[in-house]
Order: sequence, then structure tokens, then C-alpha cells
Amino acid sequence: MNYEINMHLDTIAVIRLYGELDHHATEKIRDQISRTILQGSLKTIIWNLEKLNFMDSSGIGLILGRMRELRAVNGQTIILNPSNTMKKIFQFSGLSSYMMEGKEQDAIMHARGIVNG
Amino acid sequence: MDNEMTLSFLAVSENESLARMAVTSFVSQLDPTIDELSEFKTIVSEAVSNAIIHGYDEDGKGVVTVHAVREGDVISVAVKDEGKGIPDLKRAMEPLYTSKAEMERSGMGFTIMESFADHLQVESEPGVGTVVTFSKKFLSVKMPQIS
Repeated sequence: MNYEINMHLDTIAVIRLYGELDHHATEKIRDQISRTILQGSLKTIIWNLEKLNFMDSSGIGLILGRMRELRAVNGQTIILNPSNTMKKIFQFSGLSSYMMEGKEQDAIMHARGIVNG
Repeated sequence: MDNEMTLSFLAVSENESLARMAVTSFVSQLDPTIDELSEFKTIVSEAVSNAIIHGYDEDGKGVVTVHAVREGDVISVAVKDEGKGIPDLKRAMEPLYTSKAEMERSGMGFTIMESFADHLQVESEPGVGTVVTFSKKFLSVKMPQIS
């Protein structure tokens, strides 16, 4: 399990997850991710799952936990490019409306409220 | 029965990936599709995580056993622990209910298992342990045989 966090304009964090996200991995990365995103004036988290090979309900816990932290600042969450199985897991968990397909740049534009065209 | 395997390991979280890897190899002879395989791995991951986290409180001493059987294109799996058991099974299986909210457990484990398995059964007795049994049929498209 690996991850990368890239900040855009101090308000948008793009978190790229790699490998397998299970209970073991979640326990290892949660605090670090949480600490990083609580710095500065964060408003949006974009979870880029394109390179994530596996996720179970631990991933739901991780994302819901960060959504809770963002709620204090009225922040938003985007779940980018989940696999078919992950899509189903997000649907069961009531997170369908946060999913998006496309390029990272499109998600960033979307988060900033810029519509293409 | 066409094949059978048993895997036992201690209740430490790093063994969650060990269990997934073992069952992935076990079903590989059925040529599963990517989606079939990832759903199957998810069920195993949920059941094994439950045993480690809830059955044994990650004590690193208790033993989790994964027993898998293949009959034709159906795989049946039993994930067993001899941990503390589930006092209220009906409640535990409700979507979003978790006894470990402080650990950010989502409470979606059983819902996911029930949705991805063709058949799922949970037996649990406080102080004795828990067995999660499930089966899944693999409909993967087979290449036509060339005679």
C-alpha cells in the first residue's frame, strides 16, 4: 500500500492510492493522511483510485472519516475512477453521488467550480 | 469435490492480504474475470478482517482458519475463528452498524459479503467463536476447446 498527496492552490488535496487498501493498510496510513489534510485551508479531497488494485469496507471507513473532518469546513469529496467492484461498494454505502470518472485535472476543475467548454 | 485447501494464521492484520492471495490462487483454475475475482477477494477480506478485529481484538494469538472447497465452478469458503463471538448477530448484519466506530469501521462488511456472495451464512456463539460460510459460482467465459 502506498499513497501520494498533491496539493492544489492549498485548498484541494489529490490523494492517489496504490496497491491494496484493507484494514491493515488503512490503520497504517490514516493518521498521516488525516494530519496532512488538516493543515492549511483544505476544502476538497479528490481520492484518485485509478491505481488502487483492491479495496474493502476499510476504504469506506477511511473516506467517510475524512468526509467527517471536512464537514467542519463545508468541504467536498470526489471519488475518482473506482473499479467496478469498488463502485458497487460505494453504492451500497450511499456514496454514489461522490463518484466521478475522468482525468485528475477534470476533477480539480470540477472542484473549483469551472465547467469545461 | 474437485479441490480443497485449508489455511490457518494468527490474528494479525497483515494476514488479511495473505488470505486474499491464497484464495486468489485457489480460484485461478476457474479463469475468473477481474470483477468476479475482486468481488470474491472482497468477501474473504471482510470475513477475515472481522475475525481478526472483532473475534480476537487483534491479539496476535488467536487462530483464523480459511477452508475452501471447489466443486465444478462453485467455490465454497468457511472463515472460522474461536474468538469472542457476536452477541447480537441480527444487529451486526444491519448496514452501517459497527461496534467499533472509534476505529472507523464502516459497518458495511456483512452487507458487502451478502451482496457479492451467492449464498452466505453466519453462525456465532458468544465465547465460542464465529463461522462465516459463503459460496460463489464463477461464470467466467471459457475458451472453446479445440479438438
